[in-house]
Amino acid sequence: MYGFHGRLLHVDLSSGQSSWSDIEQSRLREFLGGIGLGTSLLYDYAPPGVDPFSPANPLIFASAPLVGTGLTTTAKFAVVTKSPLTGFIADSLSSSYFALELKRIGLDALIITGRAAAMGYIFIQNQNVEIHPAEHLRGKSPVDTESVIRSELNSPLARVAAIGKAGENKVRFATISNEGRHAGRGGVGAVMGSKNLKAIALCGDHAIAVADLAGVDNIAGALRERSLSSLTDKYRKIGTVANLAVFNRLGTLPTRNFQRSTFDNADALSGETLTENNFSRRHGCAACTIQCERLFKALDGGEQRLEYETLFALGPLCGIDDPQSVLQAAQLCDVYGMDTISTGGTLAWAMECGEKGLWPEAQNLGLAFAQPEGILAAIAAIAERKGVGGLLAEGSRRAAIEIGGESMHWAMHVKGLEFPGYEPRSLKTMALGLAVSPRGACHNRSGAYEADFSGDVDRLRTDSKRGSLVAASEDFAAALDSLIICKFLRKCFTDFYREGADLLSKVTGWDYSSAELKRAAERIHNLKKLFNMREGWRCEDDWLPERVLSETLPTGIAQGVGLSADELREMIQQYYRARGWDEQGNIREEKLRELGLPADGSSTFQT
Amino acid sequence: MNRPYNGIMDDPQMIADATAVVLAGGKSSRMGQPKALLPFDGEPLIAHIVGRLGHVFAETIVVAAPDQELPPLPVALVRDQVAYQGPVSGIYHGLTAATKEVCFVTSCDAPFLNLALISHLVSQIADSDVVVPFWQERFQPLHAVYRRSVAPLLHDQLERDDLRPISLYPKVRTREIYEDKVRRFDPEGLSFLNMNTPEDYQEAVRRWHNKKNRELEIAPADGISVSVELFGVARLLAKTKSVSLSLPQDATLANVFSALAERLPILLGRIINSNGLISGYTCNINGLDFVRTPSAKVNSGDKIFILSADAGG
Repeated sequence: MYGFHGRLLHVDLSSGQSSWSDIEQSRLREFLGGIGLGTSLLYDYAPPGVDPFSPANPLIFASAPLVGTGLTTTAKFAVVTKSPLTGFIADSLSSSYFALELKRIGLDALIITGRAAAMGYIFIQNQNVEIHPAEHLRGKSPVDTESVIRSELNSPLARVAAIGKAGENKVRFATISNEGRHAGRGGVGAVMGSKNLKAIALCGDHAIAVADLAGVDNIAGALRERSLSSLTDKYRKIGTVANLAVFNRLGTLPTRNFQRSTFDNADALSGETLTENNFSRRHGCAACTIQCERLFKALDGGEQRLEYETLFALGPLCGIDDPQSVLQAAQLCDVYGMDTISTGGTLAWAMECGEKGLWPEAQNLGLAFAQPEGILAAIAAIAERKGVGGLLAEGSRRAAIEIGGESMHWAMHVKGLEFPGYEPRSLKTMALGLAVSPRGACHNRSGAYEADFSGDVDRLRTDSKRGSLVAASEDFAAALDSLIICKFLRKCFTDFYREGADLLSKVTGWDYSSAELKRAAERIHNLKKLFNMREGWRCEDDWLPERVLSETLPTGIAQGVGLSADELREMIQQYYRARGWDEQGNIREEKLRELGLPADGSSTFQT
Repeated sequence: MNRPYNGIMDDPQMIADATAVVLAGGKSSRMGQPKALLPFDGEPLIAHIVGRLGHVFAETIVVAAPDQELPPLPVALVRDQVAYQGPVSGIYHGLTAATKEVCFVTSCDAPFLNLALISHLVSQIADSDVVVPFWQERFQPLHAVYRRSVAPLLHDQLERDDLRPISLYPKVRTREIYEDKVRRFDPEGLSFLNMNTPEDYQEAVRRWHNKKNRELEIAPADGISVSVELFGVARLLAKTKSVSLSLPQDATLANVFSALAERLPILLGRIINSNGLISGYTCNINGLDFVRTPSAKVNSGDKIFILSADAGG
């Protein structure tokens, strides 16, 4: 078999048993790998209505056909489960050597269910699966955990993914971390913690075969060249932190819990200033020519990875303009294994509650806008679930329900997932993308903002084109996330579906057309939605927080711009129509049949 | 202070893979003193010209007369074997000494070099041996691009005592760049303004000062003023956040890009080329419209943002 191994490993932590089985060729062809394969397995393996922290909730690691082929930016893997933050699908990506090792184990997917009686970690060496005790690793950071496990396995080349204290304590936005990177969004680390699983260590030596080696090499060479052209200048020369200054100027930088879309001292935190004053080194994932990662010097003499989302969430969103404070907060999140976006979003919500007198505990903890000490204390409290940290560890939606009153109006989430750093009122296509995303307020499973920055639409106004733009963007993301190709390479394709299908054909030996790839992408996105429908999704879940719909932006270029409920409703209807769904946002039976998805609640595949 | 290497300048291909040749060996008889040494903007004229070309070319060659006095310059110096043999000899010696296949040739008495125009001329050489502007009914052979391969033909001309550069053009693949194209980069054709007399020199100095002053003006009487704000890589390269530009009435983005390249030559080839913005960059006017089309009109007071075309993160 080319591109895939066609094998799946299921580890049940409750019994300590593991089993290998074949994956249907048709499943691979229809859902590819990564997010697509993970979603299809989630749909089949998760009991309907399962509690995310139940042992029965499967935690799925999925590889992909392009992983290990030498193509730039493809060393990635997906983690898919039912999210404890949203109650819907959590589909996260992470990258680098762990991704390569996962494939070298000789599998396409690892499914973990059950709950270990005591904290443990799984060690997989090709066919051999062992569960090791890990009580001695409790409380350790993911980076320290990786190091200890390698040492005690006497396997310096083992690749490890681990949770930190936040995952152990089931903080609902805990991450799974490997080599300093994270499967970040939706609380996949909390699900891992709920299974008493501290880490997964991998060591494999299976070769990865492709059908047409010369053909793949040709495409790999061309993509490598394009990846080093000016098309990726931003990622190669400054990193995603470049977004901050320009977003601020365009009035799209969420500030002080989305009270404003400009930040007074954005210059102090801009990517340009950080590069001038704090740059330490450039780094990247395995097999990547872009090397987007930037590490900046911290005051303690160390260095800290920083990208735009972390910078925005722990900076302007919380009113912080001191780079060292942001670096310190980011470092703490990494040590505990917490999603920086949800951390910043939840803290900013708490700050506003404190500011408005709704939650005095916030101020007791020192949580107030522009007060870095309070943030650092709160991050530790969340990870430990100590004091009010226990409430904040639930994320902004649950915390706002607990606090009550108007606090729900400024809990900036969709489906429970906190907003990324894109102001929806001044990016109208993105507003729709955020509202309807199956994952919640997400900038990765669709890149709807691209339309707003393209000049093809007026980003400050709504119009009838947005529904189809968002649907197309989601499908594009589904294809990239399932092949898997990093989104930072997306501009290097001239006709993505044609080139992607050609690549897939050369890797797998299938005769795969661009139409089939497009259809697979649509199928994958629809299955995410179908999963959410099964788990209780209602039309009201595709919506934006009250703040967005009732307050206009007070500053900057977009001053006075808002988004009305009617405008959002109309865009959502356009989107449902573009998707071929009914007016309530349910997938019609004929659409399910057309895509080969189960119309009767049965599994996607009868195995 | 030593700054850590941050990868901003790691694209050597952004410098034109071509040689600049400056002919400095003229007699300067009507000027009454060596033109190359005339003070211009606080430095000898030849240093001013070499400095400008250094923004675009990896290699610069100065062709001087035997024993001609020159200030220290970061160039390869070539001496004519026979003094004052004219431009064909200078071009020939320059091409012969060049290490690159393509050479831009100019003289040491043309202070208003327009780097965007020069970059455009170099970019047009693909299927030609010579690229030469045709301005106000005349070829401009001392503001033209030559392939090194035409050197033997120039040598033949010297043997025949044919000292007119334009004699070469019918014999090779010559691409003429007409006035309308030149005006896109250099509306007044200042690139071709050279100095032969003290009066020409005074006039050039006056124009240079006016040009510099205009760049500082907010709203010139005979044109418009816009401000350009730089973000990301452009800001890091230019080491400035914004510049004001004076432009002609009816200016377009093409004029903006050209004037920006003049003001901040470091952006040339890295953010801007002769066709506008390079792939991967876009611009936004007043925070509202994202545009890349060079023909888009700009208005006085516009704020033009230069940014990455990729908003991902």
